[in-house]
Order: sequence, then structure tokens, then C-alpha cells
Amino acid sequence: MSTRVKMILILTLFASISGGVLSIVYLFSSPLIEANLLEELKKSIFLVVPNAKDYDEKVIDEITYFECRDESGSTVGIALPARGNGYQGVIKLMVGLTPDLSRITGIKVLEQIETPGLGGRIGEDSFQNQFKGVQTEPAVEYVKNREPEKDTEIQAITGATISSRSIVSIINKNIQMLKDAL
Amino acid sequence: MADTKSGDINTGNKSFSEFIKGFWKENPVLVMLLGMCPTLAVTTSAINGLTMGLAVVFVMTGSSVIVSLVRNIVPKQVRIATFVVIIATFVTMVDLFLKAFLLDLSKALGPFIPLIVVNCIILGRAEAFASRNSVWLSLVDALGVSFGFTVTLVFLGGIREILGMRTFFGMSVLGEGFEPWVIMLLPPGAFITLGFMLGAKNLIDRKMKERKKY
Amino acid sequence: MANEQNSLILSTSPHIKSDESVRKIMLSVNITLVPAAAFSVYQFGLYTLLLYAVSIATCLVSEYVVVRLRKRTFTLNDGSALVTGILLVMVLPPRFPAYGVVLGAFVSIVIGKQIFGGLGNNIFNPALIGRAFLAATYPVHISQWILPRMSAAAVSGATPLAGMKFDGIVTPFSDLFFGTVSGSIGETSAILLILGSLYLLMKKYIKWRIPASIFVTVIVLGEIFHLINPAKFPGPVFHLFAGGLMIGALYMAADMVTSPITKKGCVIYGCAIGLLVIIIRLFGGLAEGVMYAILFMNAFVPLINRATKPRIFGTGVNHEY
Repeated sequence: MSTRVKMILILTLFASISGGVLSIVYLFSSPLIEANLLEELKKSIFLVVPNAKDYDEKVIDEITYFECRDESGSTVGIALPARGNGYQGVIKLMVGLTPDLSRITGIKVLEQIETPGLGGRIGEDSFQNQFKGVQTEPAVEYVKNREPEKDTEIQAITGATISSRSIVSIINKNIQMLKDAL
Repeated sequence: MADTKSGDINTGNKSFSEFIKGFWKENPVLVMLLGMCPTLAVTTSAINGLTMGLAVVFVMTGSSVIVSLVRNIVPKQVRIATFVVIIATFVTMVDLFLKAFLLDLSKALGPFIPLIVVNCIILGRAEAFASRNSVWLSLVDALGVSFGFTVTLVFLGGIREILGMRTFFGMSVLGEGFEPWVIMLLPPGAFITLGFMLGAKNLIDRKMKERKKY
Repeated sequence: MANEQNSLILSTSPHIKSDESVRKIMLSVNITLVPAAAFSVYQFGLYTLLLYAVSIATCLVSEYVVVRLRKRTFTLNDGSALVTGILLVMVLPPRFPAYGVVLGAFVSIVIGKQIFGGLGNNIFNPALIGRAFLAATYPVHISQWILPRMSAAAVSGATPLAGMKFDGIVTPFSDLFFGTVSGSIGETSAILLILGSLYLLMKKYIKWRIPASIFVTVIVLGEIFHLINPAKFPGPVFHLFAGGLMIGALYMAADMVTSPITKKGCVIYGCAIGLLVIIIRLFGGLAEGVMYAILFMNAFVPLINRATKPRIFGTGVNHEY
């Protein structure tokens, strides 16, 4: 057998075995992986929209959002996945809104790589809870070094203005995009 | 190619010295300075370092054994391609396993698990050792190198976690009075800690040498 | 035997006879820093005196310990650790915790200087290494400002640069010049720093080309951006006297060890620092960029030295005759 033929045969053999083994592993792991991702999505949706028991995934103009229902089946809110740039990298959020999009019912930071202990504190509950009940009209705003006064205001984290500002602008931008689409 | 026969299984001494060689004398991180990318990037906590290390242990022992098994039937022109296919298979298995059972860790390690495929340590051991030694010796070598990698990463991650978050494997070890050093969780913290670890390794080696002399 | 050694010194050329020594230069630097340091204690209270003491003590102890570990004997009394100790405190906020200063001083001496082989071998300015380490370690403390005793502003504790960047407030020139503004402990009074460094410039302990080229670059670029958009970008005078530019340009960028040795090199180095300062201040996420600008250019000093090495007379390619 010439070397060339042997090379091709051997490489093909290995690739096939590898493919075979991996498809078996994938077959067993993929249901688990999907369940994991779904579980995480559900958790974040139900966290930002209180009273939600079930949801429908909707897509409009390439914007995905989740319409949430309570036990009786009436719509109690909308969960909107949002993303944008932070101080150091992409921030991913889940934003909960009232059905008419006028108020925020809660937010959850899903992914962020801000400076730990500083911008990273956007992931803390004390920051995220500020958004509960905040008005989205005309826009969410942030204030520094003082308590919020208006219904549209939240307080920025001391020393992490840029990360706080990023969250606010991501929320505003994504809500606006959804409003325009609806 | 030097081919050692199955008699090696009985020469426990040689196996042990191969293990120590990979674990300490030629420690992949502290001596060869290979695999720096995962070493520096994921070791923000001890658990991340441990998971990364164990993933490498699995991939390395698996691929070294297979590479050693097939070393005589693979033509040398395609050996690297074959080794990469073997390594990639094991890496994908680890990746899927983590996603299915340990989602949080899988997220924390991010792209660095799939990137084990291109980790120089593994391909280096496959090419330099497993492809020219018996299965048993390859296994011992892989275990030595990969556990050397794991222990180093746990140390690195542990030091960074203790100083950066006051915890070790999530358990609180430093009191409230200690203000965490945020820098330890950032890239410079990884470089500084690794630098001190390299220094410590050399210091220990020098002391051991001096003691041998007397 | 001892007598013979004293009477006959054998060495290769060049034979330079000068009464300058590292110790003498470093002591001069220390003395010229005293006015600004004293002013800072008056402005920000006795707590800063404690910080100076802690920093100097930590620097000297660390230096002593490392020198003993490395089995060297000559660097402790040359006064360079003292300079580092004072400069480190001068670029920190007034209420920085004392344990943080201990850590910073330790890092300055050990990681910033001794790991590279001690004074003369360090690539980066040790005090700035300590400051950079602290900025990443305690990001909250490093941005906490207080009002000085003699203060022009009444309420805001923000530094002039932060006020300009985030709120669009321009601090008047006279406040910046005399130092009646908030800021790092020793950076606020431009006039005292200038007066102090005049002596060093006279004695040629500072290579005048470095601060001069930094100032010129900052003025020119500041003016250009000010002309483009006066509402958004402050004028060149503001850039010159606000923040840490004075202390950075006069005492840190011009540090003998970490700056280029050639004249042309000094100009390149200074202009690059000025450019980086303006870029970070106007377009970066931080309000102040002097520290990172200097550290960044420190890394290029060996390269600059090599690129600007003068041709030795009688060598090199010259076919014109």
C-alpha cells in the first residue's frame, strides 16, 4: 500500500471514529444542555416579571421578547433580553416590563465582565433592585452621589459611573427598539 | 523511534521518575512556561483552576494513551493531524460534559475549554513523548504533566481567590478586616502571582540542590 | 596595602571627576519636594503626615529587607527609597487608608524596583508602579476626594479634571496654580512644584527637555482641541496646571533612571507622554492619564535609546567627503 493511500485511510478512519464517538456523547448530553439553558432562561424571566407563571416567546422585527402570563392566563408583563457595551465588554441583561412598557418590573444582569468590586457591582441585588418600578418614559436616567428623586432615576454606583451609565443606556436603547417595533 | 517494551510496567522506579519529571522538574507552567493562556485567564478562583486542570488531565491522559496505542500505524506525514483529531475529540467530550452537568463552571471557563485543543502542553506531550513511548509510560507521563498543571493552577487560583475575594474554594478564609485586592482578579494579578510562583519554584530547587551537596 | 589603594586609582577612561553622587542628587530631590509636601499637610490635614511617615518607613524597611536578601549592601542610604516614599503619597488621594499605603510602598520598592535589580535597573518609575497597583487594588479608595483647607470650591469634592470631564466644570487658572483645589495629596500646588524643580533644573538633575517637550505638546494639542470645540474641551492652560501633570512631568517622567539618555530621545519621550495625556484626558474613560502615560512610555525607553543612539565619531556610513 502506498504511503499516500495509507495516509488518507488512516486519517479518514480516525475522523470517522472521532465523529462516531462524539455523536454518541452529543446524543446523551444535548437534552441535558438544552434543559439547562431553558432552566436558566426561565429563572431570569420569572425573576424580572413577578407573578409570571408561564411565557410565550415572540419575535418581531428580529427582536425576541417573552410575553409572560400568570395562572389565569392574562398577560402580566414582558421580559426583554437586552445587550450592549459596558466599560470592558458586552453586558447581557434581562429586563422585565409592564405589558404597556411604561414601567420596569425588574432587571437581571446575565453576563458581564466589568471590574470586580467596582463596575462588577452592577450584578449585585442592591443595584438591580433600584430598577423595580422605574418609569421608562421619557427615558431612564442615573444620578450620582445623591438619592434618586424622580420616578425615572436610579443611583449610579460610586466610582463606577461608566458601568452604571452603560446599563441605563442599554435598557433605554432596547426598550425603544421594542417600542418602535410593536 | 525508541520503543520500550511492556517490561516497563515492572520498573516502577522509572515510572515514578517519569511522573516526577512531568510534575515538578519539567512542570508545564513553572518550567516550560507552556499553556499560559488558560493559566493566566481562568485562574480567578481555585475552583476554576481545578476544573481547568482536571479537564486537561482527562484530555491529556486520554489522548496520550490513544496516541501511544496507534503510534505505529500512523504515517509520520499525517501524525500531527491525527493527534489533533484525537485531542479535539476528548476536548469536545469535556466541553459537552461541563455544559450538561456543570453549567456555571462551563460559563466561567468560557472559550478556554474548547481552546484546550490548541494547548501546546497536550500536543507537545503527544508529539514528544506519547508517539515514541509505550502506553504505560505515556500514561504516567501524561498524568505527571497534567497533575503538575492542575496543582499549579489550583495554587495560582487559590492565591488570587484568597487575596482578591477573601475566600478559598468559596469558603471564607480572611476576615472582614482584610480589604480584598481587586487587582488579583484582574490580569495583572495573574502575572504578578505567577511571577512570584516561578521565583518560589526556583528558590526551592536551589535550596534542594544545596542540601544535596552537603 | 590600604594606602596603596588610596593613592593609586586604576580605571579605564573616561575619567570623570565630579562631586555628584546618587546620594547627593536624591537628597536634593527630597529637599525640593519639601515645600509641596508641607503645603499638602496644611491643606489636607495631619492625616497626610501619617501617610508620609508610613510610606517612607515601609519603603526603607522593604528596601533594607530586599537588599539583605539579595546580599547587596549599597542602596539603603542613597535616599532613593525616600524619594519613592514621598512621591507615592503625593500622588494618592488625601484620605487613602494607611494599610493601602503600606501595600503600595512595598510594591513600589519590591516589584517596582528591586525585582529588576535595584536602582538603575528598574524599567518603570517605582512610585508610579505602586500607584498603579493601588489604583487596581482599591478602585474605590483611589477615587475618593476631599476638599482642602484653603479651597476655592465650596461643595464639590471632585477633582478639577473629573469635574471637567463628567460635569463640564472648568476650574479657574489661579486655583489650579496655587493649589486651592481638591486632588491627590501633593499634586495640587503647581507653583510649589515648579519652584522646587527649578533648583533641580539648575543643577541639571532634571533633563529639561523632558518636561519642556511634555508641556509644549500638551499646550499645542490642548489648544487645537480647544479651538475645535471650546464647549467640550478645556484650554491648554487648564491641562497644564490641572491634575498630576506638573508633578508627573517634573518629578516622575524626568526620573533619571527611567527616562531616555539621549537629547533627541528625551524630546520623543516627552512628546509621546504629552500626546498620551491629552488622549486619555479627552477621550479615555479616566479623568487623569499622566500616570499611565508615563508608565507606558517608560516601557519604550530602551527602544528610544537605541533608536536615537548618536553615531560614534568616525564610524558609520558616511560617503559624502
